[in-house]
Amino acid sequence: MAHAAHHAPVNDKTELPPERSDLGLVRPDRTTGILDWLTTVDHKKIGILYGAFAMFFFLVGGVEALAIRTQLAEANNTFLTARMYNQMFTMHGTTMIFLGVMPLSAAFFNFLVPLQIGARDVAFPRLNAFSLWTFVFGAFVLNASWFFELAHLRGWFADYAWYKALVYTDFAPANGWFSYAPLSGTFGQADAALHAQRFTGVGTDFWIVGIQILGVASLAASFNFIVTIFNLRAPGMTMMRLPVFTWMTLVTAFLIILAFPAITVALIELMFDRQFGANFFNPTNGGQPILWQHLFWIFGHPEVYILVLPAMGIVSEILPTFSRKPLFGYPIIVFSGAVIGFLGFAVWSHHMFTTGLGPVPTAAFSLLTMAIAVPTGVKIFNWVGTIWGGRVRFTPPMVLSLGFIWMFMCGGFSGIMHSSAPADSQQQDTYFVVAHFHYVLLGGVLLGLMAGLYFWFPKIFGRMPNATVAYVASGMVIVGFNLAFGPMHYLGLSGQPRRTHTYQEGYGWEQWNLVATIGAYILGLGVFLAFANLAWTALRGKRCGSDPWDGRTLEWSLPSPVPAFNFAQTPIIAARDAWFEHKHGASRIGALSDGGADGVHMPSQSWMPLIASLGFLMIGLGLPMMAMGIPHLGWLVIAGLGVLFLGIWLWALEGPGGYHLRTPAPSATAPSAAVSAR
Amino acid sequence: MPSAVRRILQNCLLPLLVLTLSGCSKADWIGRQSAMDPKGPLAAKQFDVFMDTVWLAVVLFVLVGGALVYAVIRYRERPGQEDTPPPEQGHGNPMIEIGLIMASVAALVVIAIPTLEAIWYMEDVPAEAQPTSKLAAWYTGKVDPKVAEEVLTIDVVGKQWWFRFEYPQLGLTQESKRTVPNEMVIPRGKAVRINLRSEDVIHSFWIPKIAGKVDLIPGRRNHMWIQGDEVGQYYGQCAEFCGDSHAYMLFRCKVVEPAEFAAWVEAQRAPAPEPAPGTLAAQGKALFAQKTCAMCHRVGGQYDAGAFAPDLTHVASRTSLAGAWMDNRDPATQRAIDAKGNTEVSAPIDAALQRRNLAAWIGSSGILVGADGKPLHPDDIKPGNRMHYYKMFNVAGLRETKVTLTQAELDAIVEYLMTLK
Repeated sequence: MAHAAHHAPVNDKTELPPERSDLGLVRPDRTTGILDWLTTVDHKKIGILYGAFAMFFFLVGGVEALAIRTQLAEANNTFLTARMYNQMFTMHGTTMIFLGVMPLSAAFFNFLVPLQIGARDVAFPRLNAFSLWTFVFGAFVLNASWFFELAHLRGWFADYAWYKALVYTDFAPANGWFSYAPLSGTFGQADAALHAQRFTGVGTDFWIVGIQILGVASLAASFNFIVTIFNLRAPGMTMMRLPVFTWMTLVTAFLIILAFPAITVALIELMFDRQFGANFFNPTNGGQPILWQHLFWIFGHPEVYILVLPAMGIVSEILPTFSRKPLFGYPIIVFSGAVIGFLGFAVWSHHMFTTGLGPVPTAAFSLLTMAIAVPTGVKIFNWVGTIWGGRVRFTPPMVLSLGFIWMFMCGGFSGIMHSSAPADSQQQDTYFVVAHFHYVLLGGVLLGLMAGLYFWFPKIFGRMPNATVAYVASGMVIVGFNLAFGPMHYLGLSGQPRRTHTYQEGYGWEQWNLVATIGAYILGLGVFLAFANLAWTALRGKRCGSDPWDGRTLEWSLPSPVPAFNFAQTPIIAARDAWFEHKHGASRIGALSDGGADGVHMPSQSWMPLIASLGFLMIGLGLPMMAMGIPHLGWLVIAGLGVLFLGIWLWALEGPGGYHLRTPAPSATAPSAAVSAR
Repeated sequence: MPSAVRRILQNCLLPLLVLTLSGCSKADWIGRQSAMDPKGPLAAKQFDVFMDTVWLAVVLFVLVGGALVYAVIRYRERPGQEDTPPPEQGHGNPMIEIGLIMASVAALVVIAIPTLEAIWYMEDVPAEAQPTSKLAAWYTGKVDPKVAEEVLTIDVVGKQWWFRFEYPQLGLTQESKRTVPNEMVIPRGKAVRINLRSEDVIHSFWIPKIAGKVDLIPGRRNHMWIQGDEVGQYYGQCAEFCGDSHAYMLFRCKVVEPAEFAAWVEAQRAPAPEPAPGTLAAQGKALFAQKTCAMCHRVGGQYDAGAFAPDLTHVASRTSLAGAWMDNRDPATQRAIDAKGNTEVSAPIDAALQRRNLAAWIGSSGILVGADGKPLHPDDIKPGNRMHYYKMFNVAGLRETKVTLTQAELDAIVEYLMTLK
């Protein structure tokens, strides 16, 4: 057996002869450099990659947002054309949701969950790498549409026959992140040519296939985390001792696996309508446009909680740390998170109050939407309760967390306002709604995620971000944010509809739109400054100890940066907030007698997740190009399918592999030693 | 660290407070499309429910926000406490939790009751409004006895990117070869039933001062009811994203006295006046057919075939053009009227401006060409609109045709349209 040779513990896998899989292929063994990052199965490195890509796309989405705000700064502005504006708001929403917030949350899931539950990695390390690369390629497919749009605007396609045959020449998605059919689908009798029955060009196809690929990534990651959290908890880490962030990860993962199938089906139906003349949403042939809305929102509303629950989990870790007091009402916080997840599936039609549901469904969804305010309110009460009687230390993560509570609370109040369907009939599709969900998703989620970044960066890189820059950036984000989105409440109530690229003078909207634009620029600078501070920290920041905040959960018991094997010895947990109790309380963290002379068993790296994901890239680029009518591109799709199946097949046959890594002597890494070293 | 506390206060609270207060003067809430200035029972009901939720939110904001601010200030770490043992490690209090949950539920019941009442109120014309609103009770014109007991019904049809209004009980329909684009008229104080239809993508019908929105969904038969209680001109807009020129899909709703309403209907039903032979307008009339305008546009009594595009029978009598995006009234005069808070008065149509608007609109997207055949105005006023983009308009024989006009031809057509009062 090839594995026998690996049994002696080593310091680095490169000390061993190259490992061959059962098929005879050599497996990668670098632990540094580009090859390592491409083939890694280490949850911490995958988490860092998720975070880096997410922050990049946050900036891309931010630039799109600033383009939108620039266009709206004054009445009848011509900074963007109508179509360009529609593409900007479509890609802004899609980017922020699928390429910004979700992967940044995934970065935290990846880095933290195994550390918080006392595990050495996630349950399926290679599947984890597959999720990462599938996300990266899905994001690339979505944004590749911009390059086609650029080529179209520059006239580079002008001489091609397929280009001349196009009826619609929008190459970047322009339907909004909700892509309502039939605008995104087809309309008209089947005897007309299919492309003449559409309202939009291949931008929509890029969007469909891009979201579909991103869904695969999210689903694979979610199954991975569910299995990890259920099965890889250290001894004594019962469910009710789980850190709240891990709990919220679990709830989010369940939301994803239950919500994404709906959008998957809807996207396939829409693709069939567009490519093959099916009749799911084509009203002329008896299809139902309203079906798209139901399918989309039964995904789309849980999606809101997919975005917000991880941030709630982060804040629930930070507040106790800097109040130096346990979370107030832990069981209720956990339970309300689960209730939010559950109720999140029962309120989707509040996005459809204006579609003529009839009074009984409208009333039912109105009341259910109000009901979801209760578990959400409970969380806010408990956060206040956590601070109450504590000793608050205003570190950058704490300032951002307090900002989160404040903004989220404001967003919650406007949410209550349009939970009432009659009030919503005036607010739906106006800037009032834009203000509401930005208070929840930007003032809320982004501040929460930034707080998490500033909180865990010392753990991830062993370096402390510059606090002064962090305070300045936080201040700019909070001020800029309120300046940008506060006035939108007013604009919405005075009747400015969203998704309109311009407006006439005389409606009284000019002044506050200008204020909002100025605020958006302050916000953008603040976010950029905050991210730049973090990037600098990762490379050059001041070194710090392993537990600079006097942390409460297991990850702070480990050295920073965390070694590849995480825990030299598996901890035995006896209390919630185990590390804090270990340091200040009565209950100590024990240790299993694993590790030691035999070393820690580590999974081998692999090319296969990357190769399988590459198949998705080929499919994702091939399908829209096929839809453009470029000859022979159907073969790219078929080749992509081949690569995908080849990757999965080789992956299945290469075997788990693995080797043993030597750990430091147990005494040096035992939690008690770390305490005295502080 | 009190300076940090102060920073938070300055950063979050003050800007919000300033924004809220500065947004509160009455004059700011009466804009053209303000939902905060209701002029009909539906908008009023929606406004009342909204204000219920606002007051609830204010109370909760003061209580919860106050508790948060108090806790942050009261329990801040003071200098010298950094290295002392942690405070008492309380884990929560079930009675407080349960109490807060019960209180939240109670607070929501307060807004749930008016919400439910308003949902049913909005659903259909209330029975008590029926006797005074039925046509027989107020309509002074001639009306078919079969419909006299019904309330006035208007069919609203959404298209990319304009609204078509039909009054089926009063003979203004596609079948009777006369419809009303973009500028609807309703009688003051009478409930009106609205049927909502779409002929392409989803649109939404919304006149903020009169009623909240309901969507126009192809293949679906939505309805609502509205009522305007004050005479005036109101502004509406499509509120569901519907493609390239969504921002240009506006409409207007004029509320007139019931007696005036019958006169308006008669005027709409009248055919267009025939231009005198030999005039520029008569040339324009001929060009209207030669340049294929008449294939889509109807001019009642002269060109009755066009059904696809806006009905131009009385185009010169309208205060706006191009889906109510281009205003035919002097903008400064109208803004001055609006600024005084009186949206009920409409400035008169400025004929010179109307003529310029017509010429600009028709000549855009490369339709107007110079002597060398090059387009003079290649830019779009409404990108993607079907008049300027035959390629998207799937009618046999028109797909590859691009109509162009010289300045003289354009002048003639504008002259003709200006006679269509």
